[in-house]
Amino acid sequence: MHAEQLSWSQASGWTSRNGGSAPAGLVLYFGMREALASGAHYAELREKFPHAHLLGCSTGGQIHNNDEVDDEIAAIALHFDSTALELACASAVHPAQSRICGETIGRKLAGQGPQDKKLAGIFVLSDGLNVNGSELVAGIVSVVGEDVALTGGMAGDAALFTETLVGGNGPPCKHLVAAVGFYGDSVRIGHGSAGGWDEFGPRRRITSSQGNVLYQVDGKPALDLYKRYLGEEADGLPGTALLFPLRIQDPQHPEYELVRTVLAVDHTANSMTFAGDMPEGWIAQLMHGNLDRLAAGAADAARQAAAGTAECEGVAILVSCIGRRLLMGQRAVEEVEAASGELGAGMPRLGFYSYGEISPHGGSGVCQLHNQTMTVTVISEMAA
Amino acid sequence: MDRLFARQRVKATSPSGEVDIDALARLVTDAYDQAERDRRRTDRSIALMAEELDQLNRGLEILVEERTAAVRDRETRLAEQNLVIDAAINNMSQALLMFDAQARLVICNRRYIEMYDLPPDVVLPGKPLVDILRYRQSTGSYSGDPEAYIKQLLATLARGESSNFVVEQPDGRTIVVVNRPLADGGWVATHEDVTERRRSEKIIAHMAHYDALTDLANRVLLRERLAEAVANLKAGERLAVLYLDLDNFKGVNDTLGHQFGDALLKGVADRLRSCVDPKVTVARLGGDEFAIILSDLSHLSDAATLAQHIGETVRMSFDLSGHAVLTDTSIGIAVGPDDGSEPDELLKNADLALYRAKADGRGTYRFFETEMDASIKARRSLESELRTALAEGQFTLHYQPILSLTDNVISCCEALVRWRHPQRGLIAPAEFIPVAEEIGLIVPLGEWVLRQACADAASWLDGVKVAVNLSPIQMGNANLVPTVVNALASAGLPASRLELEITESVMMQNTEATLAALHRLRKLGVKISMDDFGTGYSSLSYLRRFPFDKLKIDRCFIGDLSHADALTIVRAVTTMAKSLGMITTAEGVETADQLEQVRMLGCGEVQGYYISRPQTVDVITRLISDYLPRQAKIA
Repeated sequence: MHAEQLSWSQASGWTSRNGGSAPAGLVLYFGMREALASGAHYAELREKFPHAHLLGCSTGGQIHNNDEVDDEIAAIALHFDSTALELACASAVHPAQSRICGETIGRKLAGQGPQDKKLAGIFVLSDGLNVNGSELVAGIVSVVGEDVALTGGMAGDAALFTETLVGGNGPPCKHLVAAVGFYGDSVRIGHGSAGGWDEFGPRRRITSSQGNVLYQVDGKPALDLYKRYLGEEADGLPGTALLFPLRIQDPQHPEYELVRTVLAVDHTANSMTFAGDMPEGWIAQLMHGNLDRLAAGAADAARQAAAGTAECEGVAILVSCIGRRLLMGQRAVEEVEAASGELGAGMPRLGFYSYGEISPHGGSGVCQLHNQTMTVTVISEMAA
Repeated sequence: MDRLFARQRVKATSPSGEVDIDALARLVTDAYDQAERDRRRTDRSIALMAEELDQLNRGLEILVEERTAAVRDRETRLAEQNLVIDAAINNMSQALLMFDAQARLVICNRRYIEMYDLPPDVVLPGKPLVDILRYRQSTGSYSGDPEAYIKQLLATLARGESSNFVVEQPDGRTIVVVNRPLADGGWVATHEDVTERRRSEKIIAHMAHYDALTDLANRVLLRERLAEAVANLKAGERLAVLYLDLDNFKGVNDTLGHQFGDALLKGVADRLRSCVDPKVTVARLGGDEFAIILSDLSHLSDAATLAQHIGETVRMSFDLSGHAVLTDTSIGIAVGPDDGSEPDELLKNADLALYRAKADGRGTYRFFETEMDASIKARRSLESELRTALAEGQFTLHYQPILSLTDNVISCCEALVRWRHPQRGLIAPAEFIPVAEEIGLIVPLGEWVLRQACADAASWLDGVKVAVNLSPIQMGNANLVPTVVNALASAGLPASRLELEITESVMMQNTEATLAALHRLRKLGVKISMDDFGTGYSSLSYLRRFPFDKLKIDRCFIGDLSHADALTIVRAVTTMAKSLGMITTAEGVETADQLEQVRMLGCGEVQGYYISRPQTVDVITRLISDYLPRQAKIA
């Protein structure tokens, strides 16, 4: 396995480090929406890597080794010695199609690949605004099963929540879900996910919701609650709502809890749209972040991911929530550094700030859509 | 150096190594701004959270208060309920105890403590029953073996059965103890003091068998004893049943009142008891009827002797609060097994014999004879039919006209009652009037006759009177005058058109009261006739004591007018009557000769078949109107 890290900036154009002779099979790239929207940089990459699967998305900022950058496109070109790769795309025009979308991706990836190589893992990127991530994940898992490692993230759009783009072997566009499948026994996919947020205030009950649209908690409009807590920052909704994620919990299974973050608000309907389901009857509790605890969370996620791949070299893909970056501001890089500390300075690290993270749940092991977490995927290949 | 500032400095440093101060300042300012925003957000979050938690807390406090109030409310209600249950348990007339499966006391009410005079510490919850019983044993309110009793009780209860027994306490109380098993293996015991109830039951039992007034055996006990005596009869043995009643008890009751009647019955009861051995059953069967069982009859004459003795004893004057009251008794005797082997049969036959004794002149006794049965049955049936006859309107009136010889018109019609028996057809008064008098039906029957006669007469020609016979019993009735007044008033008949006919026996039996009533009737304008004159004592003193309007010369004289003495008597009577201002009516005129004779003898009126037989009201009404042609013929 070989990894070549690339970056593009207005000033320098594409620069590369650690380029190799073997042709890359997979190129992952992340950039701000305006950088990707034209499709020009996709075309440049396609030209550079004519035989590779090109998978990328718009973000809320890129993670490039220890840096977090807004004005660069970060990419990595991976060559696998013995691992086969397939790429599948599906369009979701409406969030209600999210599950079908997931099933389609799952079916395509499960059906492709060489006869002798089993689907070992999937890395998925999804439109961040028009897809219900929970349903998408459920759709994929329902086809490929829980044993196939599924990680990824929801595309971002800075803190604007206007439009997100995903590209899979084509120029990035909205409403798209694209995923790459890894086949064979050699590939190792380690994953970890952690939040580090602290719940505070009363435990509330979701009393009115529909899918991922939340109307009321404890019989009162949820949007009013957020406006009260945000005060003057309420003007920045929905972005500022990321400062107060909601921890939700099934009262029947209290050990099984999730963090949800806001994607959109509707002042007319007095509703809030979250990145995943908000089931009625579940317990919801506001959360707030603390820089040190968030960074410790990131380190925890990296440690989990690295644990499965300790004996071989690999690359780490870090997907962190835009909410964390908003809260941490200039100190967001500290969580990247914390994660890097666990992964080792020699491991190439690439990632982005997302509108949702996809990774198996630490508790149940079942793949979930997460919010406000740092998820780390370490991809490596055993030497032949 | 702070890591953040180090990064800021790196960011603000150009590749050539120059630090852009403005850029650095922007970064630093941004970091401060963000820190400030974080601080404000945190402050606000804390304040809001505190506020929310406070609200929640207040909500919880209210909830707790409400729940506490509800709990307190429930406790109050529970306490009230307990009070009610406590009151109910402690105010029961029964003693109540509850035991658990280990025979330990769970609860005991006040009545139990009072019933056996127990100190409170003996009946504390948890006390074993054996301890309670041992204590009671020591104080004498329990005389059994506690261990054995409990063993037996538990065995009974274990079978799911109740234990139920009566304890006679040494102090004379009777206690009923009931133990009923409970589902949890324990049981409930009740102790009830039934001393009073038993006493009442005895009294009730006595009342069921003894007559309250005289304390003699009643009919029920008599039958039992008689049944017993009959059953115990051995071959050749006989017994006698004496059935008695008083001969003028009704008179005493009517004239002196019930108090005297009751006193007389008690007096008679005492005398009956005195006539026999204390073991002999003397019973009062109701009213003035008594019975005696002579169970060891050696000779029939023993019964006769006793009857004789009783008659003599009862005939002796009774002193009832200073009133000397005389009475007599009639006695019927039936002998078992000759006259019957069943108590009811013997009683019935003794009653029949009594009937005969009364019919034979009262104040005597008769043994039962088989033929009594039939004749008395017939008489009984007549009595019962008579009673229903009046209610069912079986009586009717016929009228026999009386012709005035002075002006040859029908001056009066005598009402004669007939019984239209549904099976036997018309029955003559001679057959049923004595029975009606005997059974007291004569008074209502007489009243009916009066009312009907007055009503019928009201439709006759003005001046035609109606004559109604009064029996001695009617004359003795205090209501006679009001009855007559009512009958006249309802019919709208003037009193002067009513004649009341009485016989000599009336004048003989009732004196002052009768005379007073007759005077009052006369005063109203009612005419009074002496009927059947010449057949009784014909005491002229009656004629002096009451100024009769009319003398009716008995038919026996008229039929005998061919004999000189009869002729003489009739002439003497008419002469005497004329001198006293009375009209004379010759009864039983059957021929033209007789009519002429009585006219010659000075009789004012005639009555008899020659004029007309008794007729129905329709015929008589027509006869009165039609009489003028016949009047010419007679003249």
